[in-house]
Amino acid sequence: MKIIRIAHVSLGAISKHKARTFLIILAVVVGIATLTVIVALTQGANKIILQRINNFGPDAIMIHSGGGKERGPSTVSEANLTKKDITDIQDINGVKLVSPFQVSLDMPVKFGNKFTTAWVFGVEPSWEEAWKRGSSKGAFISDADNEQLFKVCVIGQTAAKDLFGDTNPIGENIMIENVSFKVIGILEKRGQSPVGTDFDNLILIPFTTASRRLMNQPLYISMARTIVSKPSQIKTVTGQIRDILRANHHLADTEEDDFTMSSPEEITRMIKGTSQTLNIFLWLVGVISPFVGGIVLMNIMLMAVSERKREIGLRRAVGAKKKHIIFQFLAESLMLTFAGGVFGVAGGVIVAFLFHLSGKPITITWQPFVVAFLFASLIGLFFGIYPARKAASLDPANALSQK
Amino acid sequence: MIEFNDIAKSFASGAIETEVLKGVSFKVGKGEFIAIMAPSGTGKTTLLNILGCLMKASRGSYLFEEQDIETLNDDQLSEIRNKKIGFVFQTFNLLEKTSALDNVLLPLVYSDIYPPDAQKKAVQLLAAVGLNERIHYKPGELSGGQQQRVAIARALINDPAVILADEPTGNLDNASAEEIMGIFKSLHNQGRTIVLVTHDLGVARQAGRVIFLKDGKVDKEETLK
Repeated sequence: MKIIRIAHVSLGAISKHKARTFLIILAVVVGIATLTVIVALTQGANKIILQRINNFGPDAIMIHSGGGKERGPSTVSEANLTKKDITDIQDINGVKLVSPFQVSLDMPVKFGNKFTTAWVFGVEPSWEEAWKRGSSKGAFISDADNEQLFKVCVIGQTAAKDLFGDTNPIGENIMIENVSFKVIGILEKRGQSPVGTDFDNLILIPFTTASRRLMNQPLYISMARTIVSKPSQIKTVTGQIRDILRANHHLADTEEDDFTMSSPEEITRMIKGTSQTLNIFLWLVGVISPFVGGIVLMNIMLMAVSERKREIGLRRAVGAKKKHIIFQFLAESLMLTFAGGVFGVAGGVIVAFLFHLSGKPITITWQPFVVAFLFASLIGLFFGIYPARKAASLDPANALSQK
Repeated sequence: MIEFNDIAKSFASGAIETEVLKGVSFKVGKGEFIAIMAPSGTGKTTLLNILGCLMKASRGSYLFEEQDIETLNDDQLSEIRNKKIGFVFQTFNLLEKTSALDNVLLPLVYSDIYPPDAQKKAVQLLAAVGLNERIHYKPGELSGGQQQRVAIARALINDPAVILADEPTGNLDNASAEEIMGIFKSLHNQGRTIVLVTHDLGVARQAGRVIFLKDGKVDKEETLK
């Protein structure tokens, strides 16, 4: 096959011009490796974002006491939601359930001589359904616990590990501030919240016990999580909750909300907003660097063409057609970018793995390989065609007479 | 087999047009060994480029084995060069870093058919020019005369209808030049058609017929044997 014989010529040229081959491959490797690392990193970050949004719940609306924008949890000290607010929200068409809870951040917790701090939530049994998260071991907070103000708790796995190490905490008594609570269950693992806080450094106690015994907030409620029947209702339900709360809180039209609501949409917007600029920048770098590799390729190949004019003239004299010369040089470019692509992906995966070792989330799927393959081929074709055409367009008689 | 009728060639350099060949006519028969004799800078190389189908004439007609070369396109000219013409250049024009054997095989890269015994044939051709010990040597490792012998073997690999030689002894010492001319003469004796272009009368006289060019035209012809 003629095409194989010519490809063999290209391969020969690659192995005979080692410095040139090395430089071109290096340029392509840097470009493709950069692209690979960026694909792995952004995919890793996207996966984490999705996971966090999922953790938040696609059918949930969180109601915080206090106004302002994009905030963390509201604590008991700023609580201003009432029992009436909760029952009114419960009556909205499309609301499946409302689970009110009290929040106190970073409370000191002690077991024996071990200390830690954890978020303490006062919750009703509905919390389990509202968060789709119950006890992985032992019992959950019950109605009886709430009615009788029992001092029991369900402990999150980070807090449990801090206090108990590998021993079983159930049945033990821990001190939250200066009140003793009996551990009745271990909370299912959940990971990080949308804003990146540890959802497992959490201790749940009965709502009433929290309000009256621990946090001294018998009147108001810090937060409530609302679950809608269908995720599509989130927008309308959010609007209705806002109207009810504004009416109940006697807010004039000129006054701002004294509560905040967050829904999966807002969470998504919030997270994406912060990472978008960075993502665009990363992608820009990722696409530009193989491009730079391509420019290097084109430069060196153009130099090669003018260095090898006599060779081209000779090949034409012994019968090479223009298309054979184009093919020879294009195959040379493609082989080089392809080799660069292979080494580039390998290098990129190694670098991505180093990022992974330093704690950055990465995802390596088939995508970086396909992207690298496509980019390498495109660069080879796009930046290789011009030098190849230039080589083929040389006048054979003229090329032969070159010194 | 070669018929040049009133071939002219001019080159434009800016607004100035220089006519290098001003209507050259001659014929070369099959099995002839002719020399085209011209002083340097009088269109010798241009004539050879047109003869070798590397360049088209501005005027006139060129028949090669009864085919009108002026009507062929670039690809067809490439095929003629590949199958019918064997080139031998003054500066040898071998591929560097490539063995003598692979240099000889070069025209076959572009042939439609790659004969299964090509390698064997290339070795035989190299042996015929006295290089059987050096088939794996690269041009840099060979003397000028040896390089030119590789080039002759390369010109023969496709069994061309004609061998075109452009000052084949121009870069060689006397002894090597004599050897190379000896090879040409023996090829002629085997029935090959050879057209040799030179400015050296001593070299030209070794051919059967000499065509003298002067001012872009045929000045005279001389049949020697």
